[in-house]
Amino acid sequence: MKSYLLASLTVLLACCFVGTTFAADSGSGEKEMLVFPEAYKPMKVNNGGTISGVVKFEGDVPEKKALEITKDKQVCGADEKFDESLVVGEGNALKNTIVYLIDISAGKELDKKAKTEIDQKGCKFTPHVQIVPVGARLTMLNSDKIMHNVHIFGNNPVNKPQPKTRRKMALKAVKEAEGPVSVKCDIHGWMSAWIAYVPHPYFAVTNEKGEFTLEDVPAGEYKLGYWHEACGTNSKTPVTVTVEAGGTVTQDFTLKLK
Amino acid sequence: MRIRTVALLFTLFGMLAALSLIYAQNAPEASEKGKQVYENSCAHCHGIEGRGDGSAAENLLPKPRDFTRGLYKIRSTETGQLPTDQDLFDIITEGMPGSSMPPWETALSANDRWEVVAYIKTFYDGFKEAETPPKQINLSGKVSYSEQSVETGKALYIELGCVECHGDVGRGDGTSAPDLTDEWGFQSWPANLTQSWNFRGGSDTEDIFKRFIGGLAGSAMPAFEGDSFPGFGLTAEESSRMIELDNKDEMTEAEEDESAQLYEKYDAAVDIALNLAEGTELSADEQKIYDDAMRVVYEKSWHLANYVKSLSPEKRPESAIGNNVLRSQYVGGELPPMDDAAWEILEASYFPLVGQVVIEPRQFNPTIDAVNVKSFYNDTEVAFLFTWDDRTHTTDETDEETGKTLEDALAVQFPVKVPQGPTAPKPYFLWGGRLPVYLWHWKASAPEQVTELTAKGINNAEVQEAQGALKSQGTYTDGQYKLWVKRALKTDDKKDLQLESGVFVPIAFSAWDGANGDVDTKRVMTSWYTFVLEPVPSSKRFIYPPLIALLSVGFLFGLRAFVLRRNSEETNN
Repeated sequence: MKSYLLASLTVLLACCFVGTTFAADSGSGEKEMLVFPEAYKPMKVNNGGTISGVVKFEGDVPEKKALEITKDKQVCGADEKFDESLVVGEGNALKNTIVYLIDISAGKELDKKAKTEIDQKGCKFTPHVQIVPVGARLTMLNSDKIMHNVHIFGNNPVNKPQPKTRRKMALKAVKEAEGPVSVKCDIHGWMSAWIAYVPHPYFAVTNEKGEFTLEDVPAGEYKLGYWHEACGTNSKTPVTVTVEAGGTVTQDFTLKLK
Repeated sequence: MRIRTVALLFTLFGMLAALSLIYAQNAPEASEKGKQVYENSCAHCHGIEGRGDGSAAENLLPKPRDFTRGLYKIRSTETGQLPTDQDLFDIITEGMPGSSMPPWETALSANDRWEVVAYIKTFYDGFKEAETPPKQINLSGKVSYSEQSVETGKALYIELGCVECHGDVGRGDGTSAPDLTDEWGFQSWPANLTQSWNFRGGSDTEDIFKRFIGGLAGSAMPAFEGDSFPGFGLTAEESSRMIELDNKDEMTEAEEDESAQLYEKYDAAVDIALNLAEGTELSADEQKIYDDAMRVVYEKSWHLANYVKSLSPEKRPESAIGNNVLRSQYVGGELPPMDDAAWEILEASYFPLVGQVVIEPRQFNPTIDAVNVKSFYNDTEVAFLFTWDDRTHTTDETDEETGKTLEDALAVQFPVKVPQGPTAPKPYFLWGGRLPVYLWHWKASAPEQVTELTAKGINNAEVQEAQGALKSQGTYTDGQYKLWVKRALKTDDKKDLQLESGVFVPIAFSAWDGANGDVDTKRVMTSWYTFVLEPVPSSKRFIYPPLIALLSVGFLFGLRAFVLRRNSEETNN
């Protein structure tokens, strides 16, 4: 009887407080993601071309936001840390932008033995954006002598403590392309990084000079896409580049806050 | 011939039906009926498409589950696995304590509940695509409850980092607690392990064990799978030796070798676990290493579960209703100060708090479970000791939406005048109305001060002109507030309640958790309960009854003497 009342009460509450349509920032759907080809065939690439360029930021550069270090200050607070969702360098160079080929269907083989690592050092993930080939293991390093909790979101969730004794923690290889997905440490809430599980090797992340390079691209016409945490993607309006055998194409991007 | 064919067909159909039942585990195929029940009973919160975005979802925290991700907190299965049908059925049947999910045991027939299970599964393709049933957590090695097991578990609680979120004594007040979010970015408070009646998936040792091993998918609670244990693959002695060596500032050469060896063994076992997780077949040797390692891990996990079990009372305390009123005990002499051992001998009265949902802004997602109260009085004064759990110590935060200051607080409410007789009307429980209430308002930012208020409504409270009748002391330790208040039984202020031994006085409480956005009407509270200064056992009972007995005996002796004398006089005559 008591549970019937409770159940009715909840439904009643539900009916009474019909609010505005509630839109949660759900893990899938609304978020801006990378676009992957339906199929990818590895082949030997002879005399491939190169696509390179620089990504710059346009607009007023917001002031660097210092992160609030709320605990384990001895390890985490040794130096000042800043929010890395927008890192703009000299000459407005935009770091941590993924630049990639959207529609490539054949090219060089994906290196599943690639050493992909994210270090947890001073309670910060390095790098902030990491490309992980599908089928490769991502290794989480723990350079801090404290415990972290590796929490990866998305369709292949990981929520796994990494005790201080585990200096290296390899994670199960992911089988499907996805991303970028968010990486957090629940113990140190300010820690944040991104992972993209990719099905082909034509992905690059811009360095502090905003530079990227995609090498060994078979000659042909491709859609070139980008993704940036704070600036979004161009998935709907990608740039078309034509790569010639042995040639180099330059394609720069200028991104604004989304 | 024809009959035979028909019979054969029937048999085949029968077999197919049986097979489909096996594959569906327990739930039937999703049907129109399941959809109908779901849309009538579940969709208000979980949404027509199962996205957890029903019309009521906005007001709820924890948010209703989004079924499209296949992430379920309460499972009997290992991490990364889907729940079993029975898991889903049990949650629907029993509800989730401490959340808005009610038990549907009597509101829906078992049949309807199974139909809903089948329908919910259609929201996530993974159920259909799964080739093998989900892998269940092995419960066979249960370590029974003992003091020693609890002690071992307590050490693991610290070693495994449980304290980071659940706090030193388990009240969910760990240093990482305020920053935790769920998969969808909503605030997610760690469980207060001293209140097992609020555990979402049940409070049996087995339930605790399953939550720990399997994690709570979609929340911040990770899965403590085997290789998450420091020293996986080592014996208990080896792993403590490894940690001991780690903690040394300097190691000798021999110690360094020893540590390296232990780490080698540890790394090898971790590799095996990873290979297994990726589906690699293990050699017999590897399997043995893995099995031995898991045996150690599971045994440790049972100790931990026993420890967590030990943190809560057997069952939720009885609330202070009926005869179970708050009784202030008489003491001769001084009232005990806050930390006096005298308080230990009293059993606290337990007042469960619920969200205030009558007046806007409301609190649908309370974080404070209850306030516990003890009281002593003497000939002139009364003292109270209030305790309540709050995961955060908030004294000065600003509400982003309203700009109001958020802080933790407690208010104790009495009528200004005690109703004469049990049927006389009490003031409205929401801080009075036509009949006013008298309030003690304490705030965490000024722990030595209690303000006296008079109120004629929840938004109509006035600070009394005459203050200073109350003495108080407040502390916050390990996720718990303790407030000690003392006042004279009689005061000169007409707006104060005057107290008298033996008179039943209505009492009620409000509490605010600043970190949960509580301010003004958004709070948790109780309705009226009863408080009494337990009458002093009268000293007269030690005088009159013996006196009467003595007099009676004396009278009887007198009567006997009188009768005897008369008899002898008569005989003499």
